Amino acid sequence: MVNIFRWSWGLLLAFFCLFLVRVFLPLPFANEILIFAIYTIGCNFLLGRVGFISFGQPAYLAVGAYGTAFYLFYFGSNPFVGILIGVLSGVAIALLVGPFFVRLRSDYFALVNLALAVIMFYLFEKILAKITHGDNGLWFLTNMTSTPIIDLGNPSDFFIFTFLLAFGVWALYKYLDDSIFGACCLATKTNEDKLKFLGYSNFNIRWLAFVIANTTTAMAGSLYAVYFGFVSPEITAPSRAADPVIVTLLGGVGTLYGPIVGAFAYTGMKDLISGYIANWELFIGLLLVFIMLAGEKGIWGTLEPILKKLIFKKKNSTN
Amino acid sequence: MDTQLLISGVIFGLSIGSVFFLLAIGLSLCFGLMRIISLDQLLYYAIGAYITYALFRSTGSVWIGVLGGMVISGLVAFGVERFIFLRIYERDITFTMIASFGILIAGVGAIKYVWGLAPLPVPSPIGAMATILGTEIPVYRLVVIVISILVYVGIWAFLNKTITGKAIRAGIEDIEHVEGLGINVYKLFTTTFIIAGVLSGLAGGLHAPLIMVDPQMGLEVLPFVFMVVIIGGLGSIKGTLVSAFIVGQVISLGAIIYGPLAQMAPFAIMLLILLIKPTGLYGSKLLKR
Repeated sequence: MVNIFRWSWGLLLAFFCLFLVRVFLPLPFANEILIFAIYTIGCNFLLGRVGFISFGQPAYLAVGAYGTAFYLFYFGSNPFVGILIGVLSGVAIALLVGPFFVRLRSDYFALVNLALAVIMFYLFEKILAKITHGDNGLWFLTNMTSTPIIDLGNPSDFFIFTFLLAFGVWALYKYLDDSIFGACCLATKTNEDKLKFLGYSNFNIRWLAFVIANTTTAMAGSLYAVYFGFVSPEITAPSRAADPVIVTLLGGVGTLYGPIVGAFAYTGMKDLISGYIANWELFIGLLLVFIMLAGEKGIWGTLEPILKKLIFKKKNSTN
Repeated sequence: MDTQLLISGVIFGLSIGSVFFLLAIGLSLCFGLMRIISLDQLLYYAIGAYITYALFRSTGSVWIGVLGGMVISGLVAFGVERFIFLRIYERDITFTMIASFGILIAGVGAIKYVWGLAPLPVPSPIGAMATILGTEIPVYRLVVIVISILVYVGIWAFLNKTITGKAIRAGIEDIEHVEGLGINVYKLFTTTFIIAGVLSGLAGGLHAPLIMVDPQMGLEVLPFVFMVVIIGGLGSIKGTLVSAFIVGQVISLGAIIYGPLAQMAPFAIMLLILLIKPTGLYGSKLLKR
């Protein structure tokens, strides 16, 4: 537990910067960045720590979103309970498919996940059309009751809630990174035989990491659902399957703050570019290729060493 | 389910499977030899289809269009291989996967820029119908099936009877030994990549009259093609052929039984096969990371 406090300054600083985004930039943009960052950190953890590349994150996003949506549309009206149910359904699906998926190699894992995303898409669009209303989606913005203290129907209150939630998620991932479990995750990526030799079960570690990552993703899904008050199968469309991977790479694979930087850059670019040219895939694709050719470090991965150098220099001079 | 429906369903499945096979063979070869996952094959497929459309509009013949599509796809594949893949062959497999996905997305953007968003029609070059067991079947679908089988035979002959093909097969087994024998493996890589690109272009050109040509077509078939490659086992040509026809049948017969099943059933089957045999039907144990 001590490790949390050693790094708490960095965490606080990062979220102070994130709060500045709220002050200086419009609210919807800030909300979108927060949710997108939560969405991406699961993928980042899987790719950077466990060595699993996942093109299927939208599947878990959709499960979380639809878990929330079903509750708010059919049963209740409290958005907090809705989010809780969304997260729980994320845990359930990750526990369910995890044992099958984590046995596979990284390349197969990516494709099987993609297949799951496609299955989810057709499941929500066609097969469950009676409950999900197909392409029309579920609208439940008016179903949500306002809750005391933090009213999730109000975008500025929603920002505060998401902000706190994101802080919690980052604290958790920071803790995981420093814990023995985090080290084990890294070991399954680099040398699974050695880890087995040390007496750890690769399977269990991967499964747990898979569940944690996809629960976070499902949480982002339920936040999306509450924020827009609307869910449609479009959320898991195969053409959007690579978004989290792109953002992960853009921010920097395996870095703690990469997802925030990546989400900021990606959402910002999307808004900026789509204002000028309609087909911004061209640009994103070229950017992806460029990042890969430039050394796959991403924005934060490049910045972090430079910043560290600067800070340490300052410390030395004051001492 | 009556016989007529069944026969036309089987033929439909075979023709879809043929297209998947032509696409998947490139992916499979690229994985086997270079250890890259080349998602950009789907881009050459879309390019093949669009060039077919463009040449059909200017010359009036779909077959010229298909030929042109193959040539242009091969050229684009050559360019991409020279400028991008040559720099990243040494890297991790997930790395090439992401880079090639970037190429695919960029290509889709470029296609949207050139031809616009709307789906475009390409007419069938053979309008005639054949009668099999009292069922009317478009001859064009039969031609597609025959072409894909010819391609299979051609690829088989190429890999087994020519020196380059034998080198490629040896490279799939052990690339370092091939390099040690003094064969320029990068030349082999380029050859394989161009073959893959040309076949993907052919798949696009042949598929164009069966569907509408639209910018997202590559992304739409992507999950299915991957499924074919995975079920067959990465790196195996025979497995690719078998699994392509399985997937085609599952899609078309699934659609006859229950509409929405068509898109989902193949994935369920893939999950099942992977759970039983994680390397795919014909995947060898050699291809371990």
